[in-house]
Amino acid sequence: MFLINCPYCGERDQSEFSAGGEAHIIRPKQPTEMSDDQWAEYLFMRKNIKGIQFERWNHSHGCRKWFNMVRDTSNDKIHAVYKMGEKPPV
Amino acid sequence: MLNFNTPISDTKEYSEIKISEIEPILKINLRGKNRDFITKIGKELSIIAPVDPNTSSSNEKLNLLWLSPDEWFLYSNDKLVIKDANLLENKLFNEISKVKLGSVTNVSDHWIMINLKGTKIFELLSAGCPFNFNNFKNSKGAVTQTLLNHIDVIIHNKNINDLNLFVRRSFSSHLWSWMNDSARFI
Repeated sequence: MFLINCPYCGERDQSEFSAGGEAHIIRPKQPTEMSDDQWAEYLFMRKNIKGIQFERWNHSHGCRKWFNMVRDTSNDKIHAVYKMGEKPPV
Repeated sequence: MLNFNTPISDTKEYSEIKISEIEPILKINLRGKNRDFITKIGKELSIIAPVDPNTSSSNEKLNLLWLSPDEWFLYSNDKLVIKDANLLENKLFNEISKVKLGSVTNVSDHWIMINLKGTKIFELLSAGCPFNFNNFKNSKGAVTQTLLNHIDVIIHNKNINDLNLFVRRSFSSHLWSWMNDSARFI
């Protein structure tokens, strides 16, 4: 259990949030020109590293807004929280 | 057709806690993003829409709660007179939805309002809620959306030791039972 500082509502318990997977994955501009392997790579393959990871989270039991978070997966330390569309601060 | 039949319709009193369902009251969900939308709400309702997180604003008849940067929850202080409620809803619909400033949704039958009064209400809430009420309980007009016994709720701190709790109709009977059960042990 840890606390997350929602960029809209403030500090809340983790149980109010839902993790949305890796952040900053860019949709290919021409999907029709991609091979099945390349498309599968974009669609399904995600990093699952031990260390600092950029993630999307949703305050599902609060303001229901999506935001990004930089989290160390080895100890759940949150390094930064920033809104969708903003550049990563670290 | 909105269903205004209450699933609870009850009042319970314990030591230092009084729990009662207040029905029927008008509840409207308002969504919009631009400045014109906020100005229009202020003009039509005579309430300034709160833009600070977790706050609300009120007048004699209505309360407007901040839910997210583009969403507000409007509810009436008085019990619902269906004719008046339709007038207000239609007025907002014509001024906001029809001109595509935002959206107006009547959620009167979707949310159930439970009023909690007494000095131990925050002890009751803390029994099943991850939210930290330390600052909240002393801030008149504060609003939070959180979980209570794993159920989504909106809590409006109307006054000291007097708050209104909104829960979805389908979860309301279960939450009501949980609150009454928990209140007996506090």
